[in-house]
Amino acid sequence: MKLLALGVDHRSAPAAIREAVAFDGPKSAAGLDALRHGFPGGEFVVLSTCNRVEVYMAGDVAHVPETDALADFLARFHAVPAESFAPHLVSYHDEGAVGHLFRVAASLESLVLGEGQILGQVKQAFQEAQRREAVGPILNHVFQQALRVGKKVREETGLDQGKLSVASVAVDVAREVFDTFADKTVLVIGAGKMGDLTLQHLKTLLPGRILVTNRSPERAEAAAARFEGEAVPFDRLDAALIEADLVVSTTAAAEPIVTYDQYVRVQRARRNRLALILDIASPPDFDRRIGLLERVTLYHIDDLRAQAERNRKGRQKGVDPALAIIERETAACLASLQLKRSAGAVLRQLGTNADAVRHRELEALFAALPHLDASDREAIAHTICRVQNQTLHHPRAALRSAAAEPSHEQPHTLLNAFRHLFGLADL
Amino acid sequence: MDRLSVLCFAGTYGLALASDLARFAVRSAARWYLTVGLTALGWIVQAAYLGNLAWSAGRIPVTTLFESLLALSWILAAIDLYLMVRSPKPVAVGMFVLPLVLALVVMAGVSTAPQQADWGAWGGATAFWGSVHGVFLVAGAVSTCVAFLAGLMHLVQSHRLKRKRPSPFEFALPSLEQSERLNRGAITLAFPLLTFGLLIGVVLGLASPSPNAMRLSWADPKVLSALAMWLVFAVLLHARYRPEMRGRRVMWLTAVAFGFLVFSWVGVEALRLPTAHHGVPRASGRGS
Repeated sequence: MKLLALGVDHRSAPAAIREAVAFDGPKSAAGLDALRHGFPGGEFVVLSTCNRVEVYMAGDVAHVPETDALADFLARFHAVPAESFAPHLVSYHDEGAVGHLFRVAASLESLVLGEGQILGQVKQAFQEAQRREAVGPILNHVFQQALRVGKKVREETGLDQGKLSVASVAVDVAREVFDTFADKTVLVIGAGKMGDLTLQHLKTLLPGRILVTNRSPERAEAAAARFEGEAVPFDRLDAALIEADLVVSTTAAAEPIVTYDQYVRVQRARRNRLALILDIASPPDFDRRIGLLERVTLYHIDDLRAQAERNRKGRQKGVDPALAIIERETAACLASLQLKRSAGAVLRQLGTNADAVRHRELEALFAALPHLDASDREAIAHTICRVQNQTLHHPRAALRSAAAEPSHEQPHTLLNAFRHLFGLADL
Repeated sequence: MDRLSVLCFAGTYGLALASDLARFAVRSAARWYLTVGLTALGWIVQAAYLGNLAWSAGRIPVTTLFESLLALSWILAAIDLYLMVRSPKPVAVGMFVLPLVLALVVMAGVSTAPQQADWGAWGGATAFWGSVHGVFLVAGAVSTCVAFLAGLMHLVQSHRLKRKRPSPFEFALPSLEQSERLNRGAITLAFPLLTFGLLIGVVLGLASPSPNAMRLSWADPKVLSALAMWLVFAVLLHARYRPEMRGRRVMWLTAVAFGFLVFSWVGVEALRLPTAHHGVPRASGRGS
């Protein structure tokens, strides 16, 4: 049995190279078909995302191509010279290939540690290979385990916990303050890039109303149009603050544009409703003392950045436990794969031996009873075949179940017992 | 037998609480299922016990302190189960509700106070209105506990957000808006329940012809603390219309109301203060 993973990723190759060998869109199915025809007998899965293009292969040693042959295939398929990407190719063999796939599925190899998209992409790649009938027992098992391990790592290490960008941390804070957003008004003060980005994230919460205000009415109109909101004149800022539940402020003002006393009045006019202010301007647009007011939560850009950094460190802490899980799971996966293959070989050998005995004995019987006509012979052959199948049914089922259950206590003992009891050769 | 049963609920709820607290060390979905499973097990056993108590006594088991504490803890455990199942797994509702459930069960178990007024022993309309009085007070106490727990979660969440502290892994709280809504709803429900419960109690105390009936005294610490709790709830209800009183002040006031509840239910007994609520001894119910 041989396993190989070959490809390029964000660490080994620039984006242009990754794009040149990508299997995007219809190329994915065509690539799988071409691999099956080019290397018959092998199993293939193609994983192609923005940050990586990898081909996973498995099969008997004779059926899995060498890395050079596969590089030539990639060059032919994508019509690009092999020397343009070959130096960037990275390959993993056998246990290394399984471990690499598990790390990919757990997002340890991702550009953003702990990101959630990759697990879905691995699943899609696997399903596409299943649809094209490009996977067999080896990759079937390995990819199913990869999906399970990817989920397990996230659950047990917190690798995907906490957002890493300021905008997504802002969304998390909004969720900690408010329960529903359909009845909330979001006010964006300023119309900068950061404000746009934060509002883009906040829009996923489906707020009921979006107000945009800016010193430049044109920019306010443009931003309001982009986010299906309403532009509000800047001189009506206080009125807009009274209406708003969630404020995103991102102006380039040198001094705070909302003072403490001003917001105290606003909050009184708001009848002390819950308010969240995300002040992502630098220097701040809101007086820091506003955060001390009852029922007002004020986050400055530094607070959001600090939280994102803490989340990043938190995720980093999960790397070592994740690697330990992957190491354990890789060994277990290979052992289980090996066991399945051994069990398969033993079952095949058992069937072949039993068939040989049956044929030999039937021939001897028919030679001794030449008066039997064709229908009698057929009936006897059929009966003996059924006896053979029924006799071997339970031992076969027991071995299959032992091989399928990775936590089985003594699968190897059972295999050895089989070999010993049925006089099978050690393969 | 009673002590053994109470030990069973307390032990199961204790294990559920330990499993919930393990969220800081054990990062597995299995821990959540274990917490829910243990809480459900404790709740089912307690339900069977209360059911048996009701069946054998032929009335709703809310007439003694022991029964009321058990009924209260049972309803709170049901609310905890509901919230745990409905909320996302990291939301730590159990960490707040289970200690109270456990404390109530333990208090019921260790309570050595004399039997409380048993309206059932007097028969007729008094027995009926006595049960209604008990049901209203237990329902009011449930609302008070829910308001207190929601307020507690609100205070913790608000404190965390004010100090910009991130949630530890696998630990989340309901949003400020959510805990506030729960607190407000529970206060709104608690006020009429307590009002009717207390009114029925006062009328029963004044009008009961039985020589065994408790004498209603305005100096009785139980009566005083119950009235104080009712007054705090009246203020809390009023706070709904006073914007400047919203937020943490409401949550602290809810905690004060809860304090009066604990005092009137358990404190008076624990401190052995003189109260007319030690009614007739009962043949059935708790036999320690």
